[in-house]
Amino acid sequence: MKARAARRTGLLLAAPALALLAAVTAYPALWVLWLSLQRRVPIFGIAEFEGAGNYLFLAADPRFWSATRITLTFTVISVLLELGLGLLVALALAGQRRGRRLALSLLLLAWALPGVVTAKLFEWLYNPAAGLVNYLLLGAQLNWLGDPALALPGLIAADVWRTMPLVALLCYARLLTIPAEIYEAARVDGAGGVAAFLRITLPLCRSILLIALLFRTLDALRAFDLMFILTGGGPAGTTETLTVYAYRSLFQTLHLGLGSAIAVVVFGLVMTVAWGYLRMLRREGLTA
Amino acid sequence: MTRTILAVCLAGALALAGCADSSGRDGGPVTVVFKHAKLLGPVDPLAPLLAEFAALHPEIRVRAEALPWSSDEQRQFLVINLEGGNPGFDVMMLDCIWVPEFARAGWLLDLTPSLPPGELDAHFPSAAAAARYRGRDWALPWIMNVGLLYYRADLLARHGLRPPDTYDELVAAIRRIRTAERNPRLEGYLWQGKQYEGLVVNVLEGLWAAGTRALDEDGRVFPEPERAEAALRFLRGLITEGLSPAWTTAADEEITRRAFGQGEAVFLRSWPYAADLFERPDSPVRGKVGLAPLPRHATGTTGAGSTGGSHLAVARATRHPEAALILARFLTSERAQRVMTESGAVKPTRPALYREPALVRAFPSLPRIHELTLAGRPRPVTPAYVILSTTLQPELSAALVGVKTPAQAVAHARRRLEFLLEGLGG
Repeated sequence: MKARAARRTGLLLAAPALALLAAVTAYPALWVLWLSLQRRVPIFGIAEFEGAGNYLFLAADPRFWSATRITLTFTVISVLLELGLGLLVALALAGQRRGRRLALSLLLLAWALPGVVTAKLFEWLYNPAAGLVNYLLLGAQLNWLGDPALALPGLIAADVWRTMPLVALLCYARLLTIPAEIYEAARVDGAGGVAAFLRITLPLCRSILLIALLFRTLDALRAFDLMFILTGGGPAGTTETLTVYAYRSLFQTLHLGLGSAIAVVVFGLVMTVAWGYLRMLRREGLTA
Repeated sequence: MTRTILAVCLAGALALAGCADSSGRDGGPVTVVFKHAKLLGPVDPLAPLLAEFAALHPEIRVRAEALPWSSDEQRQFLVINLEGGNPGFDVMMLDCIWVPEFARAGWLLDLTPSLPPGELDAHFPSAAAAARYRGRDWALPWIMNVGLLYYRADLLARHGLRPPDTYDELVAAIRRIRTAERNPRLEGYLWQGKQYEGLVVNVLEGLWAAGTRALDEDGRVFPEPERAEAALRFLRGLITEGLSPAWTTAADEEITRRAFGQGEAVFLRSWPYAADLFERPDSPVRGKVGLAPLPRHATGTTGAGSTGGSHLAVARATRHPEAALILARFLTSERAQRVMTESGAVKPTRPALYREPALVRAFPSLPRIHELTLAGRPRPVTPAYVILSTTLQPELSAALVGVKTPAQAVAHARRRLEFLLEGLGG
């Protein structure tokens, strides 16, 4: 009885915040959903209800499925690399005796650069004739951004370079809070470096890694700026993510209905993934 | 009750409108907002021109505001603000391919009644055509552009060759020069193959060179699919046979311009802006570059470069249509275009300026560019141009990198465009 009353008070107190959230997120989301059910081309004065027409077109649209596949590939590979490398960098940082502050600032620099600047930077790094990447590969003639097999890996590398520092910093902060005594005790018990990592470090970093996973996955699913600037979605649409496709439909071909339908799909994808992660986090006892 | 509320609202709105519009009515200067992209070049010609305008027209105050850097962002900015109905600017600089679209959307002021008859006749016909939609004039041509072929005159002369008339001759010339020069770093033909508007321009030029088009009068896409496929196959062949570098599939104007400017290629398809850069004192190719029309295919009668450029238009929602038009006419006048040409930033839309001795002395390539511009063709003048172009881009790119055959790319593009253009009309 008491619990129920407390619950009601809680809901009441949360109501203003919920109302605000509804106004700034639910309303536009519903509007986009409504738009996605229409054939709407303002330039030509077309605005008619169409039902599922846009979704039916997308279901048979190879460009849409290709964008979906690319979005998922980009997300899975870049997030896994970011988590793995981020943890390694954090371990290296924690084990470093000198120059930690310098290393931290360098990491932060990569993270703090605006996406557009990062993209322009990589445009030069990947330049087939004068780029640093091909130079470091001993003068290889790799056509990074123009080859359909290399463009997506190139973009993933740029994304990892840019966002791995976030994961590294999160893990580093966690590592600092693990008491040294635990490791000493493990060593006394005869655990080697690998065992200590697997049995102590990894389990203790698990929760922070899960949170990083959540943030990074949601970001990667909505990836836009790198591909938009570096490749424009090309070559042959091999780097066109769902968000780039939505942008092109919304702001270039000005088919607001079709663009909104793609946006709704991205929204559904992000919500599903977020819901899955939140359940996982709840099981970990990280959220209420 | 409702009526009272309505009346109060109306009064309020009128009062607000009155405040906002107070300038001009009582004789004070009106303010005209001019949205433009930054003009690239050695010196910025706009500031002195606007100062001159201020002296000529003290009754008009001009606030010039720069648009975002890239063409896509400029378009997005303009579309969002114009669609909102209260754009916050009066005169805007438009890529000429947007004019019919913006006119169709009702965002531009119809200039026909306010222009003296024949005003547009002083501009290149293709520039004037790009400003016209449904028989009305919607914009004033401001800056001219045309696709053309740059060639290394020194290399061609050394091997007894003339600039190519057909693409077969271009290919033969590359083979001969590269065999004789024995320079592994010397590329053949550079052009723009990245997935963006530039690729569409290059392909359109290829279609025209083969005697066909991307869109005919009846709105049919690729009316002669076999010729379109052949033109795409040729472009793909340039890359697979090494006549164009592999990085062509990621190349835009600047990347190709730099490589040619370093002396690393025999031919380059680009715009007139590159001509002046090649003749700079520190340029490795200074004095070695010639300008020619783009070649034709054996199936075509003549090669033509795509014309392009920028127009000035007045927003329909402007509160000062007269002042806005005075500014647009001043900036597109012969006098203003001469100043802009002198600054080296751009080429004018008025043919008369290409023959002016002082200008020709400063820019010796002007008469040649004049001929090439006259022979140029506009991209399809239709409000659906951007839909057409952005739909073609991934398909054309797919054909270039070999992910799709030319036939597949053409078929897929047609299917998509049928859905997107359905019921749009002209």
